[in-house]
Formats: sequence, structure tokens, C-alpha cells
Amino acid sequence: MELILSVAIGVLTASGVYLLLRPRTYQVIIGLSLLSYAVNLFIFGMGRLRVNAPPVLEPGGVGDLSRYTDPVPQALVLTAIVIGFAMTALFLVVLLASRGFTGTDHVDGREQRHD
Amino acid sequence: MLSVFILAPFAGSLLAIFFPPEQRGATAWFAGAIALLCFLVAAGLYPFVTSGGVLRYDIAWLPQLGLNFTLRMDGFAWLFTVLVTAIGVLVVLYARYYMAAEDPVPRFLALFLAFMGSMLGVVLSGNLILLAVFWELTSIVSFLLIGYWHHNAHARDGARMALTITGTGGLCMLVGFLLMGRIVGSYDLDVVLASGDLIRNSPLYIPVLILVLLGALTKSAQFPFHFWLPHAMAAPTPVSAYLHSATMVKAGVFLLVRLWPVMAGTEAWFWIVGLAGLSTLLLGAYFAIFQQDLKGLLAYSTISHLGLITVLLSLGSPLAAVAAIFHIVNHATFKASLFMAAGIIDHETGTRDMRKLGGLIRYMPGTAVLAMVASAAMAGVPLLNGFISKEMFFAEAIETHQANILDTMTPYVATLAGMFAVTYSLRFIHSVFFGKPPEDLPKVPHEPPRWMRVPIEFLVLACLVVGIIPAITIGPFLHTAVVSILGASTPYYSLAVWHGWNLPLIMSFVALAGGIGLYFLMRNYLATSVEGPPIFRLLHGQRIFERVLVTLSWKWARWLEQNLGTRRLQPQMRFLVFIAVVAGALPLLLTHFELPPLVVRSIDPAFALIWAVGIACAIGAAILAKFHRLAALVLLGGAGLTTCLTFVWLSAPDLAVTQLLVEIVTTVLILLGLRWLPKRIEDTQETELLSLRVRFRRLRDFLLAVTAGGGVALIAYTMMTRPMPETIASYFLERAYKEGGGTNVVNVILVDFRGFDTLGEIAVLAIVALTVFALLLRFRPQADSLEAPEQQRVQNAFDDDHPDRSKGDSVAEYLFVPSVIMRWMFPVIGMLAAYLFLRGHDLPGGGFAAGIAMSIGFILQYMSGGTRWVEERLRIHPLRWMSIGLLVAAATGIGSWLFGYPFLTSHSQYVTLPIVGKFPLASALFFDLGVFSLVLGATVLILIALAHQSIRAPRAHQRAMRASKEAR
Amino acid sequence: MTDWTNHLLILPILLPLMVGAAMIPLDERNRMLKGVMGFVSTLALFVLSLVLMRMASSSEAMAAGNGVYQLGNWPAPFGIVLVLDRLSALMLCLTSGLALAAQAYSIARWHTAGHHFHSLFQLLIAGLNGSFLTGDLFNLFVFFEIMLAASYGLLLHGSGPLRVKAGLHYVAINLAASSLFLIGVSLIYGATGTLNMADLSVKLATLSAGDRQMVEVGAGVLGVAFLVKAGMWPLSFWLPTAYAAATPPVAAVFAILTKVGIYVILRLSLLVFGANAGVSAGFGQTVLLAGGLLTIAFGAIGVLASQAMGRLAAYSVLVSSGTLLAAIGLGHASMIAGALFYLVSSTLTISAFFLLIELVERGRDAGADVLAVTMEAYGDADEDEEEEEVGATIPGTMAILGLCFCLCALLLAGLPPLSGFVAKFAILGGLFGLSGAEAAPAISPADWTYVTLLIVSGLAAMIAMNRVGIRTFWASIENTVPRVVVIEITPVVVLLAACIFLSLQAGPIMHYMQATADSLMNPAGYAERVLGAPRAGGQ
Repeated sequence: MELILSVAIGVLTASGVYLLLRPRTYQVIIGLSLLSYAVNLFIFGMGRLRVNAPPVLEPGGVGDLSRYTDPVPQALVLTAIVIGFAMTALFLVVLLASRGFTGTDHVDGREQRHD
Repeated sequence: MLSVFILAPFAGSLLAIFFPPEQRGATAWFAGAIALLCFLVAAGLYPFVTSGGVLRYDIAWLPQLGLNFTLRMDGFAWLFTVLVTAIGVLVVLYARYYMAAEDPVPRFLALFLAFMGSMLGVVLSGNLILLAVFWELTSIVSFLLIGYWHHNAHARDGARMALTITGTGGLCMLVGFLLMGRIVGSYDLDVVLASGDLIRNSPLYIPVLILVLLGALTKSAQFPFHFWLPHAMAAPTPVSAYLHSATMVKAGVFLLVRLWPVMAGTEAWFWIVGLAGLSTLLLGAYFAIFQQDLKGLLAYSTISHLGLITVLLSLGSPLAAVAAIFHIVNHATFKASLFMAAGIIDHETGTRDMRKLGGLIRYMPGTAVLAMVASAAMAGVPLLNGFISKEMFFAEAIETHQANILDTMTPYVATLAGMFAVTYSLRFIHSVFFGKPPEDLPKVPHEPPRWMRVPIEFLVLACLVVGIIPAITIGPFLHTAVVSILGASTPYYSLAVWHGWNLPLIMSFVALAGGIGLYFLMRNYLATSVEGPPIFRLLHGQRIFERVLVTLSWKWARWLEQNLGTRRLQPQMRFLVFIAVVAGALPLLLTHFELPPLVVRSIDPAFALIWAVGIACAIGAAILAKFHRLAALVLLGGAGLTTCLTFVWLSAPDLAVTQLLVEIVTTVLILLGLRWLPKRIEDTQETELLSLRVRFRRLRDFLLAVTAGGGVALIAYTMMTRPMPETIASYFLERAYKEGGGTNVVNVILVDFRGFDTLGEIAVLAIVALTVFALLLRFRPQADSLEAPEQQRVQNAFDDDHPDRSKGDSVAEYLFVPSVIMRWMFPVIGMLAAYLFLRGHDLPGGGFAAGIAMSIGFILQYMSGGTRWVEERLRIHPLRWMSIGLLVAAATGIGSWLFGYPFLTSHSQYVTLPIVGKFPLASALFFDLGVFSLVLGATVLILIALAHQSIRAPRAHQRAMRASKEAR
Repeated sequence: MTDWTNHLLILPILLPLMVGAAMIPLDERNRMLKGVMGFVSTLALFVLSLVLMRMASSSEAMAAGNGVYQLGNWPAPFGIVLVLDRLSALMLCLTSGLALAAQAYSIARWHTAGHHFHSLFQLLIAGLNGSFLTGDLFNLFVFFEIMLAASYGLLLHGSGPLRVKAGLHYVAINLAASSLFLIGVSLIYGATGTLNMADLSVKLATLSAGDRQMVEVGAGVLGVAFLVKAGMWPLSFWLPTAYAAATPPVAAVFAILTKVGIYVILRLSLLVFGANAGVSAGFGQTVLLAGGLLTIAFGAIGVLASQAMGRLAAYSVLVSSGTLLAAIGLGHASMIAGALFYLVSSTLTISAFFLLIELVERGRDAGADVLAVTMEAYGDADEDEEEEEVGATIPGTMAILGLCFCLCALLLAGLPPLSGFVAKFAILGGLFGLSGAEAAPAISPADWTYVTLLIVSGLAAMIAMNRVGIRTFWASIENTVPRVVVIEITPVVVLLAACIFLSLQAGPIMHYMQATADSLMNPAGYAERVLGAPRAGGQ
């Protein structure tokens, strides 16, 4: 489990970072989204991995870590997802505006000689 | 009492600004009164400083760091105070007549007073740092005074140079003082003066010496920093007379005298100071001969005389110090008067060029006589004050203080310089007042107004009196000053005109005779020559300086800025990633890091399969993002879904739900955006003949990315395989139900334990929505993405061809069935949202999920019915929803104040509703309601704002068309 | 927690948040109303921050768990806590002061350049205050995001190609940095099981070697995120462009954004990696030192190399953060107080300068074309009409502008007698010390480099300001006196007056700074205060 997940995180990060370094705004936004998946999974992983132990108590119950997975990272991930969503939206609009003003979708607002 | 010297001038300067420009006389009287007041106070204080008495005045400023506003007046300071104030009075009087009608006199006098204040500050500071403060102030004010006629380019450059050089020196000096404080343990002057040995023996002595000297030598225009002074002559003459002869340039030597007891006498001191002094003395005098500008000549002679003083101080013998102090006074008197005379000549004839002038004694005999006496003093003619101090100088020059070349050279250099001095003094007089009368002068010269000459007369009188009967005039005051510096080690010295036939006297006569001879040899050459001495004229200190400054501070700086920095995004991203990787790796590399064991236990094939797909999606997206945007988007979605499944698998239902919903909205958003991006068709040959550089760059980025990914994976794996630490989670699991009133711990954390995070998170959402909204109002689509999408055009064309159809029908029919379904979906989704919302506290869901879900409902309406259709039917006020949401959430939090609990403390109980059944009604629920409202509002706002572009675009399109027509 | 005054702690976050929220639905046509609302709330914040400052500096008020606000009444380390101490109070005060000036300034013309200016502005303040007050790492992330999101909005305020291009870079880089932030925080949680700073500082010493490594990795990654905000070379290339492109009032508040990065670094490095951090003590200091020195150098070069005043000011932002980073990196306890003084003084100066620039350049029509950009960005049929400037123009404009410029120059160059000098003296004086005799330890090469750079950067500022000033005020050919209204010049004057006040009252103020530094040097005390605070309702 851990192995697969960490490999997955690694690949997501790598593709995300690679796209971050590319010159087209659309590549960057896709990269940022991939990166945010990676990060979310990473945070999630910090609570260690548990199968069939969702942190939903039965009424009146008092939970502990032996029967339930760590809820804190999940809460963090939820916040992270929301903020990530917001930022993606924002970046999308900014890149549209930039394309609108400059006429190009290059990150520097003007075509470079190469790449 | 001492504070008067600081307060009066600065207060006066503040007041002077508010005098109306035409009130020249009044302003002058005011300024003069202030200066006079200071002078009188100083005179009154004399009894207190005789025989080594010291006055102090203390206010705490920054006591923790030993910086206090300490004023301290001893004999030497007193002498300088009198000098500064007395000459100040005279210069004001002079300036009142000098300034032209159009000059803003109040501004001048305001600056003048400010300068006097700072100069007095330098003289009276009892704290090294305070001294540095006033020191820099004099530089700054003099910058403004030199640049007083700022319409004139020379004035501007001169001012800038003066400030740059003296300012720099001042900063160095400050550091020197700080070090001195470190050695001594205090910045207080008394303490410092008491601990000479400590300083001289400290390992830091050399740095301190060099730094302090940098300050002093720059200020006193010593070689090689001398060149700023001649260019400062662009200042109005009163300024030159005051700053550049009597006061500011004296600050440097003042400091040397001040610190003489604690710093002088060492080898290093002798060499550095002596070398600077001697070369200045000689070069200054030599250059002075070749000046054609009266003030230029005086400037160089000033430099030379300052050099003389510096040499005296370098020798390190008490007698020499006495001579130095004495010469400071004498030089001030005769040089100030000469500057004023030069100013009068300039004022009355309209030129200062000695080649044009001549025979002025006919027109202005009075001025002529005065000038002659003064310059005789400058030349060191007997029976004038200049003579006596020069005699003392010669006498000291002969003495051996340190057996080395410099010391043996001194007398010869001295005599030579003396000779030059005679020459230029003679030239000053002869070429201006004698010879054939001048022709083609701008004005017809005549005597200046009566009062304009009074200051000069006064000063010249001083020269004479001191020159003839030194012992009874200047004697006592000089003694007071000397005692305050040398204290016990004050030597015996006699201020007499006649010491009998001795070597110094002979040297003087040699100098006189030689000087006169030299002048008559050179006069014809000088009468026609260009400005500046033969060879040296070529290397202009000032030009070199300017060039260096420009090269350093402009050319190189620009080059460096462009090469150390970048304005492109990609390199910055590379740096960021790279540094992040390093930052993550270093702690592992520095300390021994053992890789975690590779456990291949319990790998579920299904899970592996899911991720095989997910990984493929991610990589695919990365590859396709450039040319196949839609495909990349789909693959991205794929990766998102995999993440979603992972959450389900690994017991995080909440995450799964949220991730899924967010996934949908994000996709829709990007889809809406895709339209406005430029078309990019992959042209095969482009990919084939990629330049090597591009390939290299891609490879590098690829490696960087892989490293980053690998690193993250490694860390993640290490962390996940470590045992769980003692964590705060158990606390939450224990109390989620008992105190949080909900069984879904994650949700309880979100709305209760860490509800504050959620509040912040929705605030972020609101902010982004606002930003998007505001930005899109200004959205300017590019021309090529303005016309309607291809498909629509085709369909509309089809409608146009068929008379029985109206435009837009096809578009409607095209989506007919889905749109009907989607319309029916709306209530269903509404129910779903409500359900998600209510169960939130106990089961996966909650306000956020509900909000997103609801907004999806709205999107579907837009997709099916189109913007106009929806907005005809639904009242949509996303802004209002957002505002209400945020306020409700916050208000819920505040509610708990009423019960004396901190913000966001929750109270909960269960209530039973008909259909929904028993559900928890916690105050957290209202909070969640706020979340819901805001999320809904924000999401809808973003989507609508983006969707609206398609409606605004055609308008913009037509407008652009119209504009281009008008242009044509 | 029975003491109601404790509720004051959360107001600096809550008030702007709610005011900002309340403004959202108001129509753009009554901007004035929004402006006034915003101004009043900021004014209230300023007063409040002064009160909090007094609270923070009186020991008895801080006793009995006051100054620690447990949100949701959950004790630390479980719940989120807000912690008030001298440092956070100081930063609050600084923030609201700047905000006040910028807001007044914006009312004259700039808030008309786009929509929702005042809401965004209030939310930015909320974000800033939150970042200064919170004692919880993840909550810090949230407030960083609030602050950043608002700053994106404000940077893009007025739109136009320049700002959008700069904004694109700014957003992209900060998004990347935010991911780093998340990775770092979660890593630290994974290794220590806590998110509370105080708790972290206690736990760190007890960790196993492996976990400690993980914490350090996390801290390293986290640090990069902060250094991006602080503008350390080479992570700061986005900054000059962004700051120079922003509208003046926005640039003026942005002067404090870099300081947030500095603040967090200072806080964490002294709290978590302070004296009692065991092996990890002094983590990352060498990096801070080297980076700081490089940043000063780069900033100084930039200052010299910039033609436009906007970039000059932006680069002086870099100089200022470099100075602070290096000061932290040198790790002399005696310098911290001086550094804090410098932080305040330089921030005030720079934002005053940012406000001044546009007024000065207006005469040279540079300001006009900035406006033109905005105008060009207007123009949609559904756009509102350009409003007329508010307030009356002032006589003797050029004289006042000139005077203000001189003051700015003195302050930036650190020349006497203003606070710029006092600050530098305080730093250097702290570095060299008045130990007397040979008691003092030798001065290290790093120290020398720092001193030299400090002086040189001052010189650079002097030369550059001198050049620009002469070009603008003395050698300007066209004598078009800019049309400046009172409400625009007043903020500048007030900020500069604040600097003068700093220089006059240097003694007492340094006293406060010293106390602040001392409390920072005592992480144990902080941790005790936070973790020992009692719950409300005596549970």
C-alpha cells in the first residue's frame, strides 16, 4: 500500500513539476492541479494508511486510534482541497486575462525566441 | 545653555522658510540676529572653559546603546564655536547684499542656519555617534547649499560629488566610531579621550584609524579626495566663504585635533596623515597657481592650507598641534575675507576669470587694499597672522620626529609649497587689480555697497592685529584651546613676530623671493593659458570620479541586475524547485539517514491497478498539455478520480466526496476557459527539428522534476512506514461525540475543533471569487477568439439556409434531450445538497460538499438553458449569498461570547424532523450553514462570471469591428 | 479565560473579516461609503492594536493565561490558539498603521480603478493579522492563503497588461510555494503529531533521531515557502516587477507582506529551533545568513540599476528583508532588538515612498500613463464612469513633495538624523557592542561582511535617490506641477512623521524592542504560557 501510494505521489509530483517548468500557461495550470493532487495525497499519507477504519464513530462512542484512522490529516486535506480549488480557478482567470491582454499564452506574456 | 547653539539655528531655519521671498532684508536681519545671539552666548561662556574647564549638557536619546544627546564645550570647542558664529554673522551680512533679486533668499538663509546648527553640533558633540550624526548633517545641508542654483548643471554635479564623497567618508567614520566604542566601552567623548593607550594598543587600532581618517580626510578635501572642493565652487560665494574656507572643510582637521591625543603619535598615523597632508599641501599650492577662476584659485589654496594643518597634526608633537590650531584660526580669517572679495569682484564685474580682469584698483581701491592685505596674509608676509603660524610650521618641519624619508622631506616640501603660495597670492592680486584696465566686461565695475565690505574690513583688521600683536590678542584664547587638547603636555611656545635670525625665517624669505621670481617668470604664460596646470589638467579628478561612479553605479549595476536576476517565470520556477529539493535533501545528507525497509506486504492488486491507470493519466496529461488541451484535461480528471478512489479505499469518505465534487467543478471551469486560449496545432516538423538547446532544457527540467518527485516519494514512504507518534488525533476521537456532538470526527474537526481554519478557508474562497469577478469585468478577449465557436457558426449557417428555421434553433435542438434531463436534475440535486448538508455532522458530507453540489445544479441549468434562459427564471445574487454566508459563520462564532465562551465554542443537541429524522442541531450547524451559503455563492459567481464572457464577447467583437472601421 | 478583555485578541481578525464581508454586496457606485467603512474599521484596528500593545507589554495583564485565545474553547495543543505577545502586537500595530495610510490615499482616486477594492483590502488585513496572531502551523497556512489571495486580488486591482503579467508570475510562484508550505506542515505533523508551535518547540527535543530528521526536512521545505514571501535571493525575482506594477496604495501595504515572511522565520527559528531545541538548535541559520547577505547585495545592485522610482522602491524592499534575514542568521542575541527597530522603520519608509512616487511622477506624466493603462482596461459598455478626484489640491505642492522626497532619501540611505540611521546604528551597535576593553569576542568575517554590505547598501540608496531626485526636482525641464490633493499627501506625511517620531523617541521604543527580543529568546516561557492556559468554564 504505502509503496504504491508513495510511487503514485512521486509520479504526480514529477509530472506536476515538469509542467510547472513549461512555458505555456495551460501547461502550468495542469501542472498545478497535478501537484495539488500529489500534495493532498501526501498530507493524507502523513496520517498513515488504514483500510476500513473511517473516522466515523457510532453514536455515543468514544474512538481511539486503534479502531479509527487519524482524522486530522483528512481535515487538513479537506481545507487544502478547497483552497486548491479556489487557487486553480483564480490562476485560470489570470491566465485568460493575460492571454487576452498580451495575445500569447506564454507565461512571460511574450513569445521567447526558443521553446 | 549649550543647547542654545543647536536649538536657535535649527528653530531659526524652520522659521526662515516661512518668510515671504520678497522680504530679503527682514530675513537677513532675522538670520543675522540668530547668529549674533549664538556668538554672544559663546562669548559669555568663555570664563567657564578657561584653564581646562569643560561644560556639559546631557539628554538621553538611546541610552541602551550609549547614544546620548551630549553637548560638551571645552576650550577648543569654544574657539571653534566663536569662529563659526562670528564668521556666520559676517557672512549673513555679506549675503544680504550679494544675493540677486530673483534668488529665493529665505530658502538660502534657512539652509544657512541649518548648516550653522549642524556645524556647531559637530563642534560641540560630546558623543562620538552624535558627532557622526551632525557630521552627516553638514554634508547633507552643504549638498543643498551647493545646489542652490540648481538650474545650473555645474552646481548639480558639484553638489552631488560633494555629498557622495563626504557622505561616504562620514559612513566609514561612523563604523570607525562604533569600533572605537567597542574598544573603549563607551561613545562618550570624555571617556574616549581618557583612554588613549587602550585605543592605540588595541588590535582594532588600524581599522579604526583608517575608517576615521577616511571621514576626516574626505571632509577636509585632502589628497586624493581633494577634487570635490573646487567643483563645490559653483555654490554662491557666501557659501564658499563660509563652508569651504572657514567651517565645513575645517571639520576634518577639527576631528583630527579632537582625536589627536588618543590616536596620534603612532607610526601608522604619521605615515597616513603625513603622506596625505604633504601631497595635499604641495599639489594644492601647485594647482592653485594655474587656476584662471578666482574662486578656483582660492579653493586650491584652501586645499593646500588644509594640507599644511594636516601635516602639522601628523607630526605628533605638541608644538605642532599648537601651530595647527593657530593656523586653523588664521586661515579662516584671511580665506573667508578673500572669498568675499572674490565675490565682490564677481558681483561688480560679472566675471571671475583672471584673464579678463585687470586694473581694478582704479575702480575699487578699497576692496583692492583689503584683498591685498588678506592675500599677503595668505602668502605668509611678516606682520600678518599667516606669517606667524607659517613660521611655526617651518620650525616644526625642521624638527625630526620620526627618522624616515617623509620626515626629512618635510622642510623642503614646506618651503616649496610656501613658494607656490606666494606665487598664487601674488597672481591673485596682480592680475586682478593691476595691469591694463579690463575691456568687454559684462558690467562697469565700481565699489560695492558700503555694508557689503564691512565683513571683509573686519576680518582683515583681525589679520593685522593678530599679525602684529599676537600675544595679547589671540594669545589667551589660543592657550585655552591648546590646554583643552594637550592638557598637561602643553609645551612652552611664544607667539612673537620676531624670533631672531633663525632657519624658519630664512625659509620664509626663500619662499617669498622664490615665489615672486616664479610669478614674474610665469605671468605671461598664465595670462593666456587655459584653466588648470599643464599635465594634471589632463586627468581631471572630477571626470575620473564621474566616470567611475557611472560605471560602478550604473553600467555594472545594470549588467549585474540583468545577469543575477531574471524577469522570466521559468528560471524562477527552476530556482524554486531546485532550492526546495536541496532544502529537503540537506537535513538528510548532513545527518546519517538510513533508508526505510522496503515492505511489499499487503499490496492489493486492485489498488495497484487503479494507480497504474492513475499514473498513466498523470504522465499522459503532462505530455499532452501543450497540444491537446482537452485530452490533457480529461486525463487530469482521470488522475483526480484515482485520487478520489484512493480516499474511498483508505477510509476517507469525506475526502472522496469533496474531491469528486471539486473535480467536477474544476473541469467545468477549465472547459469554460479553454475557448479563450489560442489554437495550437502540432506541426510535425516543428517537433522534429527542435533545437539542441530546447532538447537540453527539456531534459534538465525532466531530471529536476524526477528528482523532486523521487524525493517526495521517498519522504512520503519513510514517513508512512514509521510508527505513529503521540498525536493530538486521539483527543479528537475521544471527544468528537461527547463534546463535539457529532460522530463524523472529520466534520467535527472542521466545524468545531478547528472551525477557525474553515472560517479562513471560506474567506479565501470569497476573496478568490471577488478577484475573479473583478478581473473578468476587465476581460479583453483576443480578436481571434472573439467570433462564435466553429460548431455554432456551422449550425447557425444551417439555420440561415433553411427559411423555415430561425437562427439558433439547431443549437437548441442539438442539446434538446440532455437539457431537458438536466433541467429536471435541478430539484434532485437540491435535495441531495440538503441531505449532504444535514447528515454532515454525523456522516460524510457537510456544508462545503452541499454548497458545491448545489452550485453544480446551477451549472447544469446554465449548460442546458443558456445564461439568458436561467437568469430570466432564477434570481441569482451570488455576492449577497457570499456576504451572508461569511457573516453568518462569523456571527455563529461570536454567539458563544454571550455564554462567556471564546469564539466558535459550540453547543449541540439532537432534534427530530419529520422526514429527515433525528439529526444533530449544533450551533456548529449554523456555522455550516454559513459555509454552505458562501461556497454556493462563490462557486456560482466564478462560474457565471466566466460563462458571461461568451455573452460579452460578441459585443466586444462588434465594438472592436466598429473601432477598426472608424480607424479606417 | 474569564477576563473579557481576552476577546480583544480575535478582533483584529474578526473585525476586518466581517466589515469586508458586509461590503461585498454593496454597489460599486457608493464606493465612498465603502471607503469610509473601511477607514473606520482600520482606524478601530489601529487603536485596538495600541491597546493590545499595552496589554502585551504589561506582565500582570499577560499573567493568568491572558493573551492566549483558545478558539472553540479547546486547549492547546489540540485546538487552535491565538497568542498575543510583544512581537505580534508590534506587527499588528505596524500593519494597521500602514493600512490606514494606504486606505486614506486610495480614496482620492485609486479605489475607482477596479471593483471590490475595499473588501479585498479588509480581508488582506484580516489575513495579515491572523498570520501574526496564530499559534498554530496549519492555521498559519490558512491565514497565509487569505493574505495571498487578497494580495493577488489587490495586485490585479486596476487590471491592465502590466499588472496582469506581473500578477501571473506572482500567483504562479506563490501557488508553488503554498504547496511547499503544505508538504512541510504535514511532514511536521506526521513526525510529531502536533500542529501547535509551542507544543512543537517542547516536543522537538524529545524526538527520536529519525523523526527529528523528518521534522528538519519539513522545516527546510517550509522555510523555502517563507523565504519566497520574504524575498530572499534567488527566490525574489518576481518581487520588483510585481511591486512596481501594483497601484500605489497596494504597493504601500505590500511593503509589509515580505515582513510576514520575516516575522514567521524569526518566530519559528527562535521558538522551535531556539536554545532548548537540543541537537536541532540554530537550524538553518547559515542559510539565512548567506541568503540574507546575497539579498542585500542584489537589492543594492537593483537599487542602483533601476531608473523608475517604482523599481527602486521595490528593490529597497529586498535590501530591507536581506538586512533582516542576515541579522537573524548571524544569531547575535544583541542584534535582534535593533533588527526589530529596523523592521518597523524600513517598512514605514518604503510604504511612504511607494505612496509618494506616484504623486511625484504624476507631474512627469509617468503616473498619468499608469492611469492610462487602467483607463484602457476600462471601457466595457457596462463600466462605471470615472469619478472625479476627492478633496482640494494644495499650494506649494512641489516644495512639500521635495521635502518628503528628501526625508525618504535620508531614511532609505540610513543617513542621520532620522530613524533609518538610528535603526542601522542600533543593529551595528548591537553587533559591535560596548563591551569595552578586550572583553568582546573577535569580530567574525561574516560580521564584517554584514557591516560592509549594510554600509554599501546605504550608499547605493544614497547615490540612487540622489540621481533620481536631481533628475526629478532639479533638472526637470517641464515644470508641470502635479495636481495633488490633500488626502493623498497627508498619508505620506503621516508615515514620515511616524519615522521622525521613531527617531526622537528612539530610547523608549528601543526599550520595547529589547523587551520583545528578550521574550523571543525565552521559548520555554512562551510554550508554558500557551500550553498552560486554562480553559473557559473551568473544565
